[in-house]
Amino acid sequence: MDTTMTMSMLPTLVLAQGPVPELVPGITLFHYLAVSGIMFVLGLIGFLTRRNLIVMFLCTELMFQAAGIALIAFGRFHLNHTGEAFVIFVLTVAAAEAALALALVVLLFRRKETLDGSVWTSMKG
Amino acid sequence: MLLLLILLPLAAAILVPFLGKRQVWGVALLGTLLPLIAGMVIWLSLGIDWRSSNGDISSLNQTIPWMPDLGVTIRLGLDSVSGLLVLLTLILGPIMVLCSKTAITERVRTYYGWILVLQAAMTGVFCARDLIFFYICFEFTLIPMFVLISLYGSTNRKAAAIKFFLYTFTGSIIALAGLVYIAWFHASKTGTWSFDLDVMKTAARSMPASTQWWLFLALMLGFAVKVPLFPLHTWLPLAHTEAPTAGSVVLAGVLLKLGTYAIYALAIPMLPAGAILFTPLLAVLAIIGFVAIGLVCWVQTDVKKLVAYSSVAHLGVCMLGMFALNPTGLQGSILYMINHGLSTGALFLLIGMMYERHHTRSMLEIGGLAKRMPIWATFMVFFAMASVGLPGLNGFVSEFMCLFGAWQASDTWLGSHFVAGTPGYLGPWYAVIAGVGMVVGAMYTLLMVGKVVWGPLKLPHDDHGHGHGDSHGGHDAAHAGSLPADLTGREIITLLPLAGLCLFLGLYPKPVLQAIDQSTQSTHKLILDARQTVRALEGGPIIPPMPASNNAAPADGAEMENAR
Amino acid sequence: MMMDQMMSSLSPSFAPVWSLALSGGGGGGGEGGSALGVLASLKEVPLSAMVWLIPGLPLLGALLAGLCAVLKVRSKLPAWLMVLCLAGSFAVTFWMYQQVAATGGSTFAVVHLFDWINFNWAPGKAFVANFSLYVDPLTCLWMLFVTGLAACIALYASEYMSHDVGPGYCRFFFAFGLFVFSMACLVMGDNLLLLYLGWEGVGLCSYLLIGYFYQKPSAVAAAKKAFILNRIGDLGLALAIMLIFVKFGTIEYAKLWPMLTQYLQMAAAGQFDQIPTSVQLIAVLLTLAAFGKSAQLPLYVWLPDAMEGPTPVSALIHAATMVTAGVYLIARTLPLFQISVAPLAGLEGTWFGFVSQISALEIVAYGGGLTALLAATIGMAQFDIKRIMAYSTVSQLGFMFAGLGVLASYGAAFHVFTHAFFKATLFLACGAVMHGFAGQLDLRKLSGVMWMKGWLIVGLAMLVGCLNLAGVPFTAGYFSKDVILAEAFSVGHFRPLAWILLFTALLTAYYTFRVFFRVFVGPKHYEPGDELHAHDDHGHDHGHGDKHDHGHDAKGHDAKAHFHPHPPGWAINTVLALLAIASIAAAFAYPTYFVKGLVDTSTAQVAAGAAGHTHVGGATIFGYDPHKAMYYISGIVGAVGIITAFFLHYLGRRTAATSAADNLNLGALQRAAQNKWYVDEFYNFTIRLPLKVLSHIFHMLDKLVVDGLVNLAGLLPRAGGAGLRPSQSGVLHGYAVAMAAGIGVLGLVALLALR
Repeated sequence: MDTTMTMSMLPTLVLAQGPVPELVPGITLFHYLAVSGIMFVLGLIGFLTRRNLIVMFLCTELMFQAAGIALIAFGRFHLNHTGEAFVIFVLTVAAAEAALALALVVLLFRRKETLDGSVWTSMKG
Repeated sequence: MLLLLILLPLAAAILVPFLGKRQVWGVALLGTLLPLIAGMVIWLSLGIDWRSSNGDISSLNQTIPWMPDLGVTIRLGLDSVSGLLVLLTLILGPIMVLCSKTAITERVRTYYGWILVLQAAMTGVFCARDLIFFYICFEFTLIPMFVLISLYGSTNRKAAAIKFFLYTFTGSIIALAGLVYIAWFHASKTGTWSFDLDVMKTAARSMPASTQWWLFLALMLGFAVKVPLFPLHTWLPLAHTEAPTAGSVVLAGVLLKLGTYAIYALAIPMLPAGAILFTPLLAVLAIIGFVAIGLVCWVQTDVKKLVAYSSVAHLGVCMLGMFALNPTGLQGSILYMINHGLSTGALFLLIGMMYERHHTRSMLEIGGLAKRMPIWATFMVFFAMASVGLPGLNGFVSEFMCLFGAWQASDTWLGSHFVAGTPGYLGPWYAVIAGVGMVVGAMYTLLMVGKVVWGPLKLPHDDHGHGHGDSHGGHDAAHAGSLPADLTGREIITLLPLAGLCLFLGLYPKPVLQAIDQSTQSTHKLILDARQTVRALEGGPIIPPMPASNNAAPADGAEMENAR
Repeated sequence: MMMDQMMSSLSPSFAPVWSLALSGGGGGGGEGGSALGVLASLKEVPLSAMVWLIPGLPLLGALLAGLCAVLKVRSKLPAWLMVLCLAGSFAVTFWMYQQVAATGGSTFAVVHLFDWINFNWAPGKAFVANFSLYVDPLTCLWMLFVTGLAACIALYASEYMSHDVGPGYCRFFFAFGLFVFSMACLVMGDNLLLLYLGWEGVGLCSYLLIGYFYQKPSAVAAAKKAFILNRIGDLGLALAIMLIFVKFGTIEYAKLWPMLTQYLQMAAAGQFDQIPTSVQLIAVLLTLAAFGKSAQLPLYVWLPDAMEGPTPVSALIHAATMVTAGVYLIARTLPLFQISVAPLAGLEGTWFGFVSQISALEIVAYGGGLTALLAATIGMAQFDIKRIMAYSTVSQLGFMFAGLGVLASYGAAFHVFTHAFFKATLFLACGAVMHGFAGQLDLRKLSGVMWMKGWLIVGLAMLVGCLNLAGVPFTAGYFSKDVILAEAFSVGHFRPLAWILLFTALLTAYYTFRVFFRVFVGPKHYEPGDELHAHDDHGHDHGHGDKHDHGHDAKGHDAKAHFHPHPPGWAINTVLALLAIASIAAAFAYPTYFVKGLVDTSTAQVAAGAAGHTHVGGATIFGYDPHKAMYYISGIVGAVGIITAFFLHYLGRRTAATSAADNLNLGALQRAAQNKWYVDEFYNFTIRLPLKVLSHIFHMLDKLVVDGLVNLAGLLPRAGGAGLRPSQSGVLHGYAVAMAAGIGVLGLVALLALR
């Protein structure tokens, strides 16, 4: 989030294989991470501010994908496929999750005829 | 061989869930009788010369490797003290099963299964020569007991079970921390881990007295709860009152002895200096337990609660003898463990038999049973007298020795030397004040006998088994009508071995005293050696200075009187 | 003196060989001999192990009675078995006495039976308390009358308890046999712990027998009271045993006596301050024990209540044998008392320094004297004849203790011996009346019993007993009481005690004959008692009542109208006659020195020059030697008492309920004596009640404070949970914000830490 901090941390990541081949010249890891960060923050803001359950769910998906972008960027940066493998795994889980979550939302909607998340407080301690 | 004693009841416990309801009792009886027979065979075949070194029966040692990296093995062994307690456990096993035949008719598989597991765990504690196995067995006794109380107890059983479990468990955790510290201390010195109790004893004794003080405190917190020593006793009356008869019998008979045994076999030999430093305090607590709790017994109306409180009082004497820290007191204390198990166990059996017939334990509702149940009454008077400490019966020998041990634990008194005193930290005043407890003991026991056994016959109104509120679990009254007014043959057979042992140990305690002689002498020697360590510490910052001679004792006595 | 000459002229024909060797005249011990007395020349002799039969046979009888109960025997079989066993035991005792007498005295024998409590209190040093028997003349004296009386009373009980044939009968004889066994252990034990076994054993049997009619709440309460008050004494004995062991390293008599010689020599030389306080304290603890068992102030209150038991039990246990165990204890350990006569030094400044002013022997003497007086005053005002006898027992026991306290051990033992016979006679006669008149014991409701058909033997036996108790000249009771009185007057500083005892003797004669004149002579009259039979009806034997003259259904008003007293049968009459003769014959023990010989050749002999026994130079009473003068003085005192009773309770009496004594109105004093000086109430109020309150307080403290703290510890986590509970709002956004904030904080921490 704090860009100067991220910049200062980058040089510590030294690769065994030498310099990183850039797919698009001028676009470095920093840029990918910046996009990921922006997406994540957007998702977070959306999650916190919106009341609609479906929108909130979409926001969580946005945060998920932000993490995925960061992972792929790191995978590229490290010149291995760990990050990609992880993202594929996460996507699978996310798909299952989406199905489950949407089903739940439908159920909740049927109970109270609204998509407002704040009406559900039965977990109060 | 020893493993057999543990595995036999365990095997029966595994078998029990697959049996029909009718066969369970027989299998459970077999599962407790076979170990008893095996135990007897071991006993007789060894032909033990009790006077041999330390009473340790090395031919029974058995080691099974378990976690070699951590130095954990399952090592089993017996010495004369634990051997006697194993015998007590094995004898009480069949009695537990016998006494439950008509009392428990529902969920029998669960009941007998857990009883058998309990039996195995208790045997394990006394056989263990390795800390981890010891502790596992020690803690594993809690679960069967918890189940027995919470499923088969009376009205307030849930609360009693939870209190019993949490209280004793908390104590044990503290004790475990202390024991693990000793193991760590050994490992940090030698570089290898070992949980062998003999190794740990040697290691712990090399600690400075101030460390021993802390560790002894930790160990005592754990074990004294189990005993239970005076301020830590409140779980016991509750648990006893709520537990089913067999539960009370085994609780009084063996489970409490786990605490005293652990103190004798672990705490004192590991930390003799710590034991010395705590001596006057623990003795005072024991005496308060004996006298004040004795008085509490006197105002009870529930018979079972009275006997439960009397357990606390009796174990007060046991602890007084133990912390006399001389051979007399230690021998008396060990003998007391066995005797209390026999006589109080029998009293609980008798109360259970009364409860099964009349569904009350309140002395306000029931009385004069001698007329209706003469055989029962005879046994009741007999065991009450054993419990009071009538000479000729077992209780007297041990009670006298415990008090005498306390008296003897001092060199001088009133300015003159004792010919037959041992250097120690108690003295006549402790015995004199504790002696008051003997009178109190007669007061509450005879009160119970006078109300329940003698007097005009009085029976509760709803004495035919229906319409009473707390019928549940095994205590349902519906089938009690099948019992005759007086004891059945089965019940007499349950009681007779205990009566025989009470008489035998009262008239001829010599075999037992000889058996434990060496063990107590060597413990006393450890104490004498540790006196040097303690002397070096006197006046140190942590511990208040010890009474060097007995001069301070009267002050303690006076304080106690004020406290009361 | 004439009487003295007469006495000594009798002696050669009756005296055992060894008593001839004794010096000294009639009464008082301790003249002549060294400072150590018998201890100096005590030697061990062999004795056949046969003596184990003395305790063994009664135990066998008890076991057989138990077996009869198991086999549901419904006949008098247990009684006959018991009489046989006890007679056998008596025969062996007599044989033992002859063996001991043949040795010439100052000897003892130890017969080892089996090891009992035997452990090492230090490497190689043993605490030994075995089942071994110690036989010396003192043992013989006690066992002779214990087994002899027990056999007689068992025979008496076979008839007396016949209402209860069945389980109750077996229970009675089981406890009876066990009692004689315990008493034998008490008297014959070779160490103090075996004595303790017998001591508590007789207590148990007393408990079981007092509570024999267990359906009567008063009997149960009396049994409990007896046991608990005895327990207080037992505690003293237990502590004394501990103290003896730690001071001397042994509790076996044979090894203990030699240890005492050094202290006895110190005492004889007057160097009391050299005897350690803890050694002197032993005697004080033993005194506590003896006072408990023998019902002395302040622990005497259980004995009158013990009359709830069947009368044979009262006769044997609570008059003749068990209650004299305290006297036996002190006589047995007399050497320990002789070194405890000095004011206890070394206790000054400790928190119970007041004890330092009193010596053990003074406690014994004055305790006994005051008990004698107090019990006699209560006895004078009672109406229940059995209770009067009970108070008279307490009073006579007081005499014995006073005798021990003034170091007249011979007098005390002699009084025990004579008292055993005549008090047993008295009780058994009262028992016969109670048995025949359906439990009637009120002297206002019975009169002229002796003149009724079939009651003559009872009346005569009663007369013999009363003459003895009143101390009429030439009776056994007269001689034995004289020895004590004379010795009390001889020892200078016990003069007040001597007067108390003399006054008590007067009262004794009065209340004894009050009973006799009211109940046994005078106009014939009777009312049956409330308990048409006071027997143990067990659940099983409801049917048996029909077999007897007065079954269950005979209760009630009709029964009273048709009541006929049934005079005693052959067993009761035989035993009464036998005991009456024995009471008379016991008088011959005086001129023949039978008892004196036994006592003064045992360790109960008072060593010459024993401290506290200093005869004041020429102590006199009315200018005469007390030992001589007492023959006349006590005779006169007895006569005065009897004559008073005659005028107040016999002369001119027309009905059973009234007598001339009714005109004497002593007001509050009389009422207080009748109510036993309110001692029971006093104890109840000052001891039992506060203790009960204290117990309740402890119970509350235990429940609220001790258990409360535990529950509080359990409450703390619960309270913590309740405090954190509101943080779980249940709103989705709340969690989301908390999560985001958490991540933010973590990120911040991470960044700050990395920088």
